[in-house]
Amino acid sequence: MDQESVQIVVETLKEEGIDLVVMLPEEPTFALTEAVRRDPYFTSITVAGEGNGIAFCAGAALGGRKCLFVTGVAGLLVASWALAQVGMVYGIPILIMASYRGDMGDHSGIPGSQLLMFKQVAEPLLTALRIPYRVVSQKETLKRTVREANFACHDYGSPIVLLLTGEVLW
Amino acid sequence: MKRYDCLKLLAPMVDEHMFTVTSLSGNTAMWSNLRPDGANFFGWNMGLCVPFALGLSVAFPKRKVIALDSDGSLMVDTSSLITLADVNPSNLVVLVFDNQSYARMGPTATARAANLEEIAHGAGIGKTATIHTLEEFSATVKQALEEPGPHFFVVKVEPDRGRIKGDPHRTYGRAMKEFFVAAVRRHPDWKGE
Repeated sequence: MDQESVQIVVETLKEEGIDLVVMLPEEPTFALTEAVRRDPYFTSITVAGEGNGIAFCAGAALGGRKCLFVTGVAGLLVASWALAQVGMVYGIPILIMASYRGDMGDHSGIPGSQLLMFKQVAEPLLTALRIPYRVVSQKETLKRTVREANFACHDYGSPIVLLLTGEVLW
Repeated sequence: MKRYDCLKLLAPMVDEHMFTVTSLSGNTAMWSNLRPDGANFFGWNMGLCVPFALGLSVAFPKRKVIALDSDGSLMVDTSSLITLADVNPSNLVVLVFDNQSYARMGPTATARAANLEEIAHGAGIGKTATIHTLEEFSATVKQALEEPGPHFFVVKVEPDRGRIKGDPHRTYGRAMKEFFVAAVRRHPDWKGE
């Protein structure tokens, strides 16, 4: 993630009072998670698995903490059981930011067959899990989208995923 | 040792300001009968009980959070123990009721070689024990509720015979969650909106 996007996200999280960031570091969002980890405003939690990261956020959110989970498409796949429970069964609001691995323009060097798999499953997975999502591909709309997603996840009573494309990440 | 006997010993130790989280096992029905009111989240399964309790413990750092998990559930995602050790919350107590079986559907790996206490210890949790008797249970859990943790205990129990039923409205799904949310929002330490 480039520094301009990192700055926008960090600034918006602070404006929204989101001070708990849960992550399993991955390359496209590393600059963001590293910035959060170094900023004393935030409590940052690094989890060992995405499923337990989602469940952790669920506990923290129902306990009144405003939190963000940062992951990628692979993490959403790993966490799909937890997302089904948190979203469809219990309706717990969690804001999730995920790098859209496999989207056109992903030049990260991952083999093309993996990128294609990410592209093919990402949005159908979220649709199957009934999780509202938005593809964010313009820096100009990043701040507004984060704010609106944070409001909407509480309003809906549901996790919400923001899929960040290369235009925002690189 | 029977799970229900352990839970009956636990119930009077849990004060009104503590939080409990259960796995979807005998723990849910039994605990709902023993502590029907208060901040109880019932019925997480397949690996989600411990990490949910961990998130809650971060939200309420001055209150004890008790996770009542079970062997089959925890084994789905033992990486949550690594996360627990890394976060290292002083207020979390994990009790894994290990009946060494998937309900009435045969043994889990803990009936053979798997040792959940050693897995937890290897994950980095310092205060672990395996409990075999009611006397040990009573003394160990009482101490854990009075001292900083995190604590992780494997409680060896017999497979449950017969079913104890809980009120499904209070123990499952969104209705249960709303009871939990209401209790959490009444809590004196609540700082949410």
